Amino acid sequence: MQVHQFYPSLSYDDAISNQIVNIQDILLQLGYRSEIFCEQQPFLAKRQAKQFIKYVPYSSPDNILLLHFSRAYSSQIMTNLKKIPDRKILIYHNITPHTYFAGVNEIVFESTQMGRKQLKELATITEAGWGDSQFNCHELMENGWTNIAVLPIIFNSKQYVIRPESKILRQYKDKTNILFVGRIAPNKKFEDIILTFYYFKQIHPTANLILVGSSKGMEKYLAYLQTLVQQLKLSDIMFTGHVSGAELVAYYQSADVYLSMSEHEGFGVPLLESMQFNVPIIAYHNTAIPETLDGSGILFKTKNHVAIAELMAMVIEDKHLQNKITAHQQQRLPYFFPDNIEVKLQKYLLKAN
Amino acid sequence: MYNPIMENNWLEIADEAIDTTQIEQQIYERMAKRNFQLYNNSECPKEIARKLWQEMIGNTISNKLAISLETCDIVPRNYVIDWRIPILGPINALLRRLINAEIRRFLSSSLEQQSYVNRQVYQLLHDLLEENAQLRREIESIRKTQKQVEHHASSSILS
Repeated sequence: MQVHQFYPSLSYDDAISNQIVNIQDILLQLGYRSEIFCEQQPFLAKRQAKQFIKYVPYSSPDNILLLHFSRAYSSQIMTNLKKIPDRKILIYHNITPHTYFAGVNEIVFESTQMGRKQLKELATITEAGWGDSQFNCHELMENGWTNIAVLPIIFNSKQYVIRPESKILRQYKDKTNILFVGRIAPNKKFEDIILTFYYFKQIHPTANLILVGSSKGMEKYLAYLQTLVQQLKLSDIMFTGHVSGAELVAYYQSADVYLSMSEHEGFGVPLLESMQFNVPIIAYHNTAIPETLDGSGILFKTKNHVAIAELMAMVIEDKHLQNKITAHQQQRLPYFFPDNIEVKLQKYLLKAN
Repeated sequence: MYNPIMENNWLEIADEAIDTTQIEQQIYERMAKRNFQLYNNSECPKEIARKLWQEMIGNTISNKLAISLETCDIVPRNYVIDWRIPILGPINALLRRLINAEIRRFLSSSLEQQSYVNRQVYQLLHDLLEENAQLRREIESIRKTQKQVEHHASSSILS
């Protein structure tokens, strides 16, 4: 039996592409022949991928094809998936509800809407659905899957053992730095982070807010955020855009608190990254975030920007409290290490076989 | 500016070594002592963010209504009868003014009435759209709460 993977396009650094590469490593270690197939040949990716139109020689009713799903597939892909005899398992990374993109990007609005409709259709051609989280599995259940399981995101801590960008370390050294990592998208509620920082800046006037993430496709939302910063007369807020691995490590190493105001997360990989770098996490309690943290970090249920600003200040000022939080976070992280996920994946594949 | 009164247990810290209630209390005390300033001294930042969203991104009611209040008025108030050609021009203008006066006599009240109805309908549509938007927000909020409750109930089944 061969186990291959499909995703529309592989990129260099996003969480799903990393998950695909990590899964392939595990499959190869377990002795399976495993290739990655994409609709388009990736321009820059960590791993070679073949075009899905060349899948036919690999196709067999004995094989399993893992379908990574986080956005709508093209109609061509849906047609081909229905034709091939391979046994298909969906790996669901969640699709942000389309309502968040109304007025921001109509193409993404329609694409996310289409993606959620396709979920129901994919339930009829797949034999199982694996979600990154129980939250994602619950959505699969709502869309018709009965054979579901949780396959968490694999966190390979070795990927972060790289020299951090020294310029960033120097820039933020000995300062109070609040960090959020995530693409600029309305569901991440960057405006709430900015509003909290508005009050935090009055507690720590020299503080910085670092917002790491690409704004590709969300230019209108970014313009709104930048205008908001201007109207609030705030300074020391950095929208970094897409960053390299070395820059990302430097930002995490410079951070005093990781603040998430996001209202929709299918998993939240930056939460694991914060755990890796011992950055205390303060996050809004919703969707998959409590499950990813599983009791570590600090969750809040009400978005009172003033109270959260004071909470951040307390965590930064009280080293004893900070150490307790990060110690608990460190205990959570190994659950996502490759060795642990390998056991789950092997069990699921044996069950599928 | 902000509501200092919050419900209890808004913080969740699972570590038993940390007294969450004490942390919440300390936060309230700090908030009470702190004298937060509004930088521009006019509006709450949250309100600034909300208005800016409506202005830059939100599907504002006026955007949804493709007509404006001004177009509801269909009475031709600025109709001018004038002349340029000598001799014939003034005669032409006089005749048109007479005819216009007659037409206006029986049409004017109808046009004024229709304009009034148009404005009433516009206002009604505007209010309905606002109410619709508010109800949608409330439904979304209820759905979120329901999902969270269902998620908690089913998570024990899944594990």
